[in-house]
Amino acid sequence: MTDPSSFKKGLEGLDQGPRPSEAAEDALPPQAGELPPHPSVDALRARFGDAVLRHEVVAGDEHIVYVPAERVLEVLGWLKDEPAHRYDFLQDLTAVDYGGGRQIQVVYQLWSIPNKLNLRVKCELPISALEIDSVYHLWRASDWLEREVFDMFGVVFRGHPDLRRILMPYNYAEGHPLRKDFPLRGRFSRAEQTRRALAQKTEDHYSPMELEIAHVLGQPVPDPFDGGETGAQQGQFGGMGGGG
Amino acid sequence: MGLNDPGSTVNAPAVHTEKGSSLELQAEKSGLQPGGLFSGQPSFLTTKLESVVNWARQNSLWPMPFGTACCAIEMMATAATRYDLARFGMERMSFSPRQADLLICAGRVSYKMAPVLRKIWEQMPSPKWSISMGACASSGGVFDVYSMVQGIDTIIPVDVYVPGCPPRPEGLIYGILMVQEKIRNSAATSESVWGEVDDLPESGSSLPREVVDAITAPFGNSTNQNRASGLVSTGAVVRVSDRRP
Repeated sequence: MTDPSSFKKGLEGLDQGPRPSEAAEDALPPQAGELPPHPSVDALRARFGDAVLRHEVVAGDEHIVYVPAERVLEVLGWLKDEPAHRYDFLQDLTAVDYGGGRQIQVVYQLWSIPNKLNLRVKCELPISALEIDSVYHLWRASDWLEREVFDMFGVVFRGHPDLRRILMPYNYAEGHPLRKDFPLRGRFSRAEQTRRALAQKTEDHYSPMELEIAHVLGQPVPDPFDGGETGAQQGQFGGMGGGG
Repeated sequence: MGLNDPGSTVNAPAVHTEKGSSLELQAEKSGLQPGGLFSGQPSFLTTKLESVVNWARQNSLWPMPFGTACCAIEMMATAATRYDLARFGMERMSFSPRQADLLICAGRVSYKMAPVLRKIWEQMPSPKWSISMGACASSGGVFDVYSMVQGIDTIIPVDVYVPGCPPRPEGLIYGILMVQEKIRNSAATSESVWGEVDDLPESGSSLPREVVDAITAPFGNSTNQNRASGLVSTGAVVRVSDRRP
């Protein structure tokens, strides 16, 4: 795209001080009320008519498309693979809880490297049914991003190979912290939080000897997170029960 | 710290001298009880030995830098050329706890990190001291939230707290000098002194639950003010001149 010689040309004469921009003289920022068109939104509407629930533009040029949760894998897969759009970079995967019992939105921030286009895809999930398909097989970056959304909001991603807590300790039983109904200081007393924190097993990696023994004996690798009491107390506020 | 234990029994004197020697008479007159070198009972031998041992310990502290967050930057700055911890004997920052005797916890500690801090502390051999550097390590700092330990004294015993966010290098050096003062005033040769450090409850907090709840309760500008703010008398030592203690 950019050849090295043009890059070096841009560096010439910089010691003379800043020079005027090379943009066109009449290129003004978009006026209020003018929505810059986004090629992918129109193509999405043409391809999945009913799946595009809503289209918003925020902050002048950020386009958001709302998609129902059951169509998200189909829509995102099309956006990634379609040659004209090729959103091959998942910049972020996060969630928003607006509070008041409203639906939780899962947000996919996409960027197309060849076309240099941003697009935000949102799915709304009711709190009683926080399940959505995982995009692990589309973008590997979603591996830990979906784990973070699960840890903080409790959204279960179907098809994720290793969905478990990533930020909070594995035996965290107070729920999902970034939900709006979660109190700032947590649900347990500080003494209880301290006790549970110190009850973690810090060796969460298998030792090479354990792995080799299991391999030689042909046995399945032991689960490092099978805490006896912690397993029973997990899931009290909706956390994931059992080991990873 | 156990220099004059009223409850401890007197061991048989290790040295048998004549009853009429002036040293024995003087010792009995002053009320000192004879005892072996490591029984914790002060004698004219042990005070000299203690001062030598304490001098050696305080001037060759090897810190274990447990830097988790921003305070670690200031700890690095303190160790760098301008403030230079090497002139206090901390030439070697030991990253192996087995070879360190001063744990400097610089930075906030999350509940996920708490068992690691505890394990590092337990791996340090006695005698050992700890400095809680910064507001987050001392009390949780600005992070009064679900994920942060509200003061590492709920996890490990702390000798010196250095306030600041972050403390200036001079502040950390002052804290280190306070640790040196503590070492200077401690009974170096008493096994009972170091025994209490090793008796941490297994995988539990070093403090009882009520104390943990009391000292980690929100105070100050929090919405739930339930601790006295303002001028309250504390047991702080008033230093007339703030020179070297």
